[in-house]
Amino acid sequence: MTSLLRARGLTMHYPGGAAPALDAVDLDIAPGTSVAIMGASGSGKTTLLHCLAGILRPTAGSVTFASGAGPVEVASLDDDGRARLRREELGFVFQQGLLLNELTALENVAVARMLAGVPRAQAETEAGQWLVHLGLGGMEQRRLGELSGGQAQRVAIARAQVTGARLIFADEPTGALDSATSVEVLDLLLAAVVAGRTLVVVTHDADVARRCGRTVVLRDGRVVSDTARVAPAASVQEAAR
Amino acid sequence: MNAAVPGARPAGSLATAWRLAPLFARRRDGDRLATGLPVVSFAVVTALLTLVLGGAQAFFRWDDDLASTYESLAVIACVLLLVPLSTVGASAARLAARRRDERLASLRLLGATTGTVTALTVLEAAVTALLGSLLGLVLYAATAPLVGLLHFRGAAIGSQMWVPWWWLPLVVAGVTLLAAASAVAGLRAVVVTPLGVRTRQRAGTAHWVRVVVAVVVLVVGLGLTQALGLLGQLGGIVAVIAALAAAFGGMLLALDALGPWFVRVRARRQAKRAQTVPRLLAARMILEDPKTAWRQVSGVAMTSFVGVFGAVGLAMAAVSDDASMPADERWLMHDISTGVLVTVAGSFLMVACSVGINQAAATLDRAAVHVSLDRLGVPRTVMAEAARRAVMSALWMVAGGSALCAAVLLFPLVGFAIFVQPVAIVTALAVFAAGFLAVRGAAALCTRLVPGILARPERVL
Repeated sequence: MTSLLRARGLTMHYPGGAAPALDAVDLDIAPGTSVAIMGASGSGKTTLLHCLAGILRPTAGSVTFASGAGPVEVASLDDDGRARLRREELGFVFQQGLLLNELTALENVAVARMLAGVPRAQAETEAGQWLVHLGLGGMEQRRLGELSGGQAQRVAIARAQVTGARLIFADEPTGALDSATSVEVLDLLLAAVVAGRTLVVVTHDADVARRCGRTVVLRDGRVVSDTARVAPAASVQEAAR
Repeated sequence: MNAAVPGARPAGSLATAWRLAPLFARRRDGDRLATGLPVVSFAVVTALLTLVLGGAQAFFRWDDDLASTYESLAVIACVLLLVPLSTVGASAARLAARRRDERLASLRLLGATTGTVTALTVLEAAVTALLGSLLGLVLYAATAPLVGLLHFRGAAIGSQMWVPWWWLPLVVAGVTLLAAASAVAGLRAVVVTPLGVRTRQRAGTAHWVRVVVAVVVLVVGLGLTQALGLLGQLGGIVAVIAALAAAFGGMLLALDALGPWFVRVRARRQAKRAQTVPRLLAARMILEDPKTAWRQVSGVAMTSFVGVFGAVGLAMAAVSDDASMPADERWLMHDISTGVLVTVAGSFLMVACSVGINQAAATLDRAAVHVSLDRLGVPRTVMAEAARRAVMSALWMVAGGSALCAAVLLFPLVGFAIFVQPVAIVTALAVFAAGFLAVRGAAALCTRLVPGILARPERVL
């Protein structure tokens, strides 16, 4: 299967760091799959996600993304190019959500479309549909402070998908949530996979990893285990229902 | 349980802060602008204050019939400059607190008392002000001869600009103490907890009651200005100046009461109508805290207000330049115009410093937002535009509103000036243009902090 994202020899040295945060990592991510990246604190999993997503530029190695317009060498793009890639092709759901406190739930989602030049009215219509789809109907005008942690993550999930991004990166998306809400949020992320998107999740949580189709384990910046499940994501079908 | 060190006594907050201060004084990467701005600001403030005091004491050397008038005007100018001076001090303190946030929070986590954290922050603000004010004295020495070229009562001020030497340590001590006091006040706006430093949440106070209060003050101010003729007959020019000062002060209070309310109403409209992300973000940033948005640029309110007074004063001076008038009265009219313009120029510098510091503090306050937007792929130009719009949008409101209030207050005189002395309008427009450029420049300067924030996102997330 053709990779949606391919990393080769990915290496990252932080200034002043004795050892590399990433050490020649190779990784292929197929479209429509869910991949969990696990490892102890400091193992390099968040650095790997940031390099794959173009947030960080690796010290060495390549990251190739199969965009709609053809393959893009992420690591060689300049700051503006990587920002454009993140804006137009990728979606993000992080532990803190990275939502804007000043904006309403609806505006937080609509901003992603407005940045693509979509008129505000249309952007808000699309954003509203996603919020309803994710169970936030009636909460569109609420500010972030008026939403629970799980609801805020739903807003982030809506924002990650409203642009049509094919690849979603999630960094500890359930880290700040109780177990019941974690299951709900993961269900929504996996439902996106069923709908054809690709999910890369960094997590400490073995339960989260177990529900993904593949688990990559890092230690000291190296991949020490890469396991695909025969019957991946048992509850994906449940999530799709 | 830890055993107590034999013979050890718990140290006081001040002693602890004194021991910790050298550790905090070390420069950090990316902090140059944040560190330098308060020092430069205090230097400019000190230089301006000393120049004003120099000019004022020159006025106090006269002892003829008009001496008291000049003395009153000098006092008004000093008061006008003291207000932005205290704002700059509070801004510098807030910036210092934000700059130290992680380490202050870490200290709290280690068990440092609120007193130690407060003492440390106040100490830093005082040292910053001390350095800045010493630099300011150098600036004063460099600029006093230039300011001495200004003519009052038909002659250059010259060497009278030099204050007695023993005033200098008093000025330095005064600025340092004011900065320390402002730091205490500034710290009340933030909460330093073991988990971080956050801005204290305050309930929105941009209430409609402010409008009522402001209208009452406006009416009283208008009444005073309309009764100037009567006051002149009863108490002479001193009564007229006192009434003008009261009306002036009242208008400033009215502006301060009205400002946040108007800023909120306008931002709400802008948020509804915004079609681009920078416009939407800018409006929402203002709505997040209209009072702060107002205060950030409120220094311009005074400047715009004074600018209109200056323009009208210039027009009146030109019209009154009649050979039949006694020389003293002709000089007085000219000197009022000169004094107002000098004060306006000083206010501009204060405002520029204040906006620069406030923007630097706001940029650091909003560091997490900058990181969030960057990760989403929002171009940095969008962030810069949103921040600039948030300031400039409030500024339009502030400058326009203040100028309008001043024009209403001086309505007959403004109308007269427009028809008789177009130079007044040109002066007013120049005042506005300079104010806008100063604020825009200061706001633009602070966008240079953003790359530093984005380079170390882990500091803010």
